[in-house]
Amino acid sequence: MAGRANIPTNSSALIAIIADEDTVTGFLLAGVGNVDLRKKTNYLIVDNKTTVRQIEDAFKEFTTREDIAIVLISQYVANMIRFLVDGYNKPVPAILEIPSKDHPYDPAHDSVLSRVKYLFSAESVASDRR
Amino acid sequence: MATATEEPRLLGSALAAEDAGEIDGAVGEQGLPRGDDDDEEILRFMDSVDGYLHLMDSLSSTLRQGWLDLASARHSMGPTRVSSTLLDHKEQSAATKLQVVDHAGLQLSESKPHFALSKWSLQEECYSTCNAGEQASSEPNLRHRGSATTPEDGNHERDATKAGSSTGSDTSSHVQRARSKALSVFGALVSPKLRTAQISFETALELILELANSRSSMLASFSQLKE
Repeated sequence: MAGRANIPTNSSALIAIIADEDTVTGFLLAGVGNVDLRKKTNYLIVDNKTTVRQIEDAFKEFTTREDIAIVLISQYVANMIRFLVDGYNKPVPAILEIPSKDHPYDPAHDSVLSRVKYLFSAESVASDRR
Repeated sequence: MATATEEPRLLGSALAAEDAGEIDGAVGEQGLPRGDDDDEEILRFMDSVDGYLHLMDSLSSTLRQGWLDLASARHSMGPTRVSSTLLDHKEQSAATKLQVVDHAGLQLSESKPHFALSKWSLQEECYSTCNAGEQASSEPNLRHRGSATTPEDGNHERDATKAGSSTGSDTSSHVQRARSKALSVFGALVSPKLRTAQISFETALELILELANSRSSMLASFSQLKE
């Protein structure tokens, strides 16, 4: 059907992570880390030396890989590439913005909630447009 | 997001639409028949948004516990022993993976992926919510969900029981071996806090799975409402 994204059934998909060191370390302890033959990982550790370009490249890579079903990204990192995250609208991989140690979760910045928030009130749409 | 205050606005605008166009209760705005399906979809959408926010709150708590345990482990083992520099860059396959199934929504134009978790390479760990029927029943439960770590909620404990009953001690020893292998990156003897951090992040993964399914449900309802 036109407009329907094809979601291939995948029985062995990965979780990708773009987050700070502690968050990535924690999830690697839970067994999500993957390194392929070409030494490509399914995670990117973001620190003060990581450039926005590197984050963008990682985001684009993870969202185009067929073996990744969920991309976890710390919300403060997502804010650095907000235009890319908000412009993403495929069902798979699912992008989930998660809190980090120093930056609590803010629902106002969540790309999914931003997409659906206009349903809550016509006034809120009008006030956004002013 | 102040969904508690914004909820009445959505329902209020729906009621206003009813007042505007309704003649005998069966006709909605602009003379089009008002379906119960629309009300159901709105309720489903609101439930999924509510569930999403509750799950995110639970995830924040679980992650905070994990970070605290990780910091405690770093304090007892030393910063060089709990560091990303120790992460292995040799070829390795993830022990915890996902299964993705496309549950098409009511209309063919919707895509509604459903995610299931396979922890520590155990196929039995796949949630029975891979079935559409159980998925539908899980959605109302989201409204009543408190902390994901409470015993009465006990998804991860139920999984442990299910896995344990299927192949007995073999499964639990497999899980223990897999966990120990993940911990071995940080040395042979690790702090107990590192083990509890591992459990916290495993719980966080389960919450993330539910978040992904909640997101999928929310976006499917949203697409339906937009149409």
